[in-house]
Order: sequence, then C-alpha cells, then structure tokens
Amino acid sequence: MRLDLQQKDAVLGWGLILPALLIILSLILYPILSNILSSFYKVSLTGRNTFIGMENYRDIAADPAFWKAVLITFVYVIFSTAGTTLAGLGVALVMNRKFFLRGLVRSLILLPYVAPVFSVVYAWKFFFDPVNGIFMDIMVERLGIFSERFNLIGSPGAALWVAIVFSIWKNFPFTYLMILARLQAVDKTLYEAAEVDGASHWQRFRFITLPEIYFVMGSIVLLRVIWNFNKFEDIYLLTDSVKVLSVYTYFKAFVGTVDLGQGSALVILQFLLLVVFILYYVKKVLRW
Amino acid sequence: MVSFRRLAAKLCFAALVLFIVLFAVFPFLQMLSMSLKHQWDWGNPSLVPRQINLEAYKELLNIDQMAKNVPESVKILLEESDLTRQQREAILEKYRDSSDIFPFVRYFRNSLLLAVSAALLSVFLAVFGAYSFSRLRYRGQAVVQRGVLFVYMIGGILLLIPLYRMAAAMGLLATPAGTFGALLIIYLVQTLPVSLYMLGNFFRTIPYSIEEAALIEGVSRFGVIWRIILPLAASAIATVFIYAFMIAWNEYLFASVFLKSYQGLYTLPIGLRTLFVSKNAIWDRIMAGSMLTALPVIILFMAIQKKLTGGLSEGGVKG
Repeated sequence: MRLDLQQKDAVLGWGLILPALLIILSLILYPILSNILSSFYKVSLTGRNTFIGMENYRDIAADPAFWKAVLITFVYVIFSTAGTTLAGLGVALVMNRKFFLRGLVRSLILLPYVAPVFSVVYAWKFFFDPVNGIFMDIMVERLGIFSERFNLIGSPGAALWVAIVFSIWKNFPFTYLMILARLQAVDKTLYEAAEVDGASHWQRFRFITLPEIYFVMGSIVLLRVIWNFNKFEDIYLLTDSVKVLSVYTYFKAFVGTVDLGQGSALVILQFLLLVVFILYYVKKVLRW
Repeated sequence: MVSFRRLAAKLCFAALVLFIVLFAVFPFLQMLSMSLKHQWDWGNPSLVPRQINLEAYKELLNIDQMAKNVPESVKILLEESDLTRQQREAILEKYRDSSDIFPFVRYFRNSLLLAVSAALLSVFLAVFGAYSFSRLRYRGQAVVQRGVLFVYMIGGILLLIPLYRMAAAMGLLATPAGTFGALLIIYLVQTLPVSLYMLGNFFRTIPYSIEEAALIEGVSRFGVIWRIILPLAASAIATVFIYAFMIAWNEYLFASVFLKSYQGLYTLPIGLRTLFVSKNAIWDRIMAGSMLTALPVIILFMAIQKKLTGGLSEGGVKG
C-alpha cells in the first residue's frame, strides 16, 4: 500500500510529537486525573487507601485556616498583579522615550526577572532582618517611625505585604517588556494628529495609548493571576508565615503529619477556584 | 521660563529613571556587599564594606580550607613533634571532615547535572514535537497545539502530590539513583511545554518555501529538519535551552519533597535553604552562595539578551 503525501505527513506528524505527547500525558494529565480520584480517599503511602467519599472536602471546609488561606491568596494575587501591571506600565512608558544610556538601563532592570528566586530571596530577607537589616536601620535609627527593631517578615500581616512587594519587584520586568513591545507598534501618526487637535498628555494617554494596549494588558493580567495564584517558591522561601493556598497545601501534605488525601482535595479546590476565575475573566475582560 | 520648566521636567525624568534602576538592582548590590563584609561589619548600613573579606567565597569554593578548623594547640603540636607525614595528615583529616562545611560545590554539581540534562532532553524532544504541530497538517494537529498551551497553565503545586505518589509507588524513591532519575523526568516535563510552545512559535516564522524547494529536490523530511530547520533555528534553540535550564535550575518545590532523605543529592535551592535555617550568623556565606548561584544565570542571560527578549514577547514565558 502506498501512502499519498497527506497521509505520510499525518504519520510523520504523529510520530514526531508522540514522545513529547506521551511524557506530557503520563506525567501531567494522568497525575491530575489520579489526583481527583485520590481526593476521595484516605491515602496512605505504605498501606491501603480507603474510600471516604467527601470527607476530605468536609474537613477542609470546616477548617478556618483554609478560609484564611483563601483570603490571603486573594489579597496576594490581587495586589501583586495590580502592582506588577502598574509598575510594568509605568516603566514601559518611561523606557519608550529615548534617553542617555537607555540600552544599559534596559538590561539592568531585567535582572530581577532573570536571577534565581532562591538566591535573591536572601537579599530581601537580609534587608528586613531585625538585627542587621537596612530597613529597620532606616525606620528606627534614622526616621524613628518604629520605636524598636522587630522581625517584620516574621509577623504574618506585614510579611504578606513584603511578599507582595517582592512579587512586584520580581515580575515587573516581564510585564514591562510585553507592554513596551506593544507600545512600539502604536502608529505614531495618531499622536501627531491628536497633538494638532490640542489633546493634552493625559488625553493622548487615555484615548490613544490605553485602548491600543488594552488587550496586551488584559492577557498579561490573566497570565500573572494564573502564575501568582499557583506561586509557591517566591512566598515560601521569603517567609513561611504567609500561608497562601500553595503554602498551606504544602504544609498539610508534607510537613508534620503527612495527609496526601486532604492535600489532593486542597489542590482540586485551588484548581477549581482558578478555573472559575479564568472563565469569568476571559468572558468579561477579554470579551471572547 | 519655558526652558526652566523643561529643565525641571528633564531632571524629574532622570530621577524617575534612577529610581527604577535602583529599585531593580538594589537587592543585588546588597547581596554583593554582604558577601564581602566581615561579621563585625554587618550592622553597618553602608553598602561599601569597611574591609573586603573573601573568606565566605573561599569557604564555599573550598579554597584553603585544609587547616581552618584545626585548633592552634594542635597545629603547634603537629609542627614540633616528629610525626610521619601520614600520621600528620591523619590528624588533620579528623578536623577537616567536620559536618560544619557546607558542600556548596557538590550541590552546584547536582544542580548543574539535573538542569543541563533536563534542558537537553527537553529541547531534543521539543524540536521534533514543535516541528510536527507547527509545520505538518494532519487530523488532531490543532488539538495538540492548543493542548500544549493548556498544560502550560498548570502549576507545580497541582502535580506535586500525584507525582510524589507515583514515584513512591514505582519504588523510585527507595534509591538515590531512582530519586535523581524521577526528579530529572519531572524537570523534563516541567520544561517541555514551554520548549514546545516557544520553538513552535519560532518555526512558524521560517518561510515554508525554503522547505518546499528542498522537498521537491528529493530531500526527506528528516533531511529538511536536520539540514534546514536546525541551522536556521540554532539561536532559537539555544534560547529555549537556556530557558529550560533556568526553570530546572530554579526549581525548589519538587526537589525539597523528593530529595528530603538524600542530603548528598541536594540541589542548590535546598542546599542554601538548609544552610539558612540550620546555622546562626551565616549572612556572609548565604550571600556569597546567592551570588555564585545567580551569576551563571545572569551571565547566560546577558549573552543572549537580545534573542531572549524577542522570545519573551513572542512566547510569554512562565515565571
């Protein structure tokens, strides 16, 4: 039997993608499905698993720490996303103008995004260190805002905001690059025409720039929300007193009494929350 | 008056740029400064050390560490008494191999081995996979392409528990080699969607007519990939490799769970974390370690910056 060119392409196409596809299916799709199943079991690594129906979910819903984690996650995601997007927009507007040493500045400000989290995080920890850190030195010795030095990232309330600022610092370069790329594609004659018509700086930004970058911003916000919602390292390595859902699940499943069944259920809930948000967002903001 | 206002606006703008740069690089300056300070200098808020101290770097890189932990009295004893060379070294050995030394070089090697092999495998599989769904038309091609995008959205925490259970059930976690292998495959699968997506986007920019001409000349599909696509995409492939490398190099979550009982296999992220929580007064070593782990990535990045920023805006890479 001879294959025509189209059939040959199909065979080759599937052949080439197959290794990658098998790996993705067996190590991403299958684990997710098995995770759904095991969320209904009492899981033990050594012995047998016993079916307990919705009990894992009921336990979670009855735990106030879970609801607190949900709240903290929302605060973290909303403020870090908003902050990152605004900072990225501001920096993109600045970098869109020509100035001395712009090339050097552009590469320098990419550093936070490029450097590994697990190493830069210690510079931040040191900055807020109660004994030697500069933050406390400024706040206590120089400005006298606090009367004594204390461990800022040790208290959950303040640590949450430090984690948010850290997230903004780490991720604004990505946002800025994406927005800048779009800004540079805006038709310059639009601005010239607006200037002739006597539009102010603000009006030009509001009625030309903003509509042009609306959809880029929309997609960046969506990506940022997804990534920050699942964020673990950036928060846990900075401070373990901020219990967002990922960190809460990590502690539940792997620290102290290991409970993989409840961990599985937590992960499913986290995923569902995210999916609901994405569906709403895609419909309302991106108008698909 | 007008020129004065323009000058003021210019100054404001310069101040703004300066502020942005400082905000971005200050933590790095802090890191460099602390890694070079003596312990008595730590409370000094200035970024410039009063005296440069390279001891932290020396300790991490294991330079001149032979006689460091040996007490003075023993040193004198060793010099004065007439022991044989072997006896002397045996005594020194006892002091050298204290658990106090942070095996930075070994962790660095573990990290490097994992990240390089995961990235190589990932790029190798992704070249063929991305060629398939970006160049060939067949039933299911669109589904594959969108599926890759979907997988890209799934965070590590969602996969941690089921993958851990799978590895445990397969008995991989019982041996160091099995654990290392399990982690390698996990890093491969974490980088594969990104690699597929970025390379797919790049392949679409290569004009199809070049390939067509070669096919008409009688070159096979593999010949086309090998002799046309690969050379044209060399820089994109290098970029994707570095991206995949960075993802694996930075990974903490899976490593912390899988390698818990194998200290010898620790990668840098867990190594540094362990150093941080286990000792007091370690700022200089932590900062030196952070510098040494950030540098390779920063250098790699600077080397390919132009292409990487291009890739960033085309692909939108996870982070």
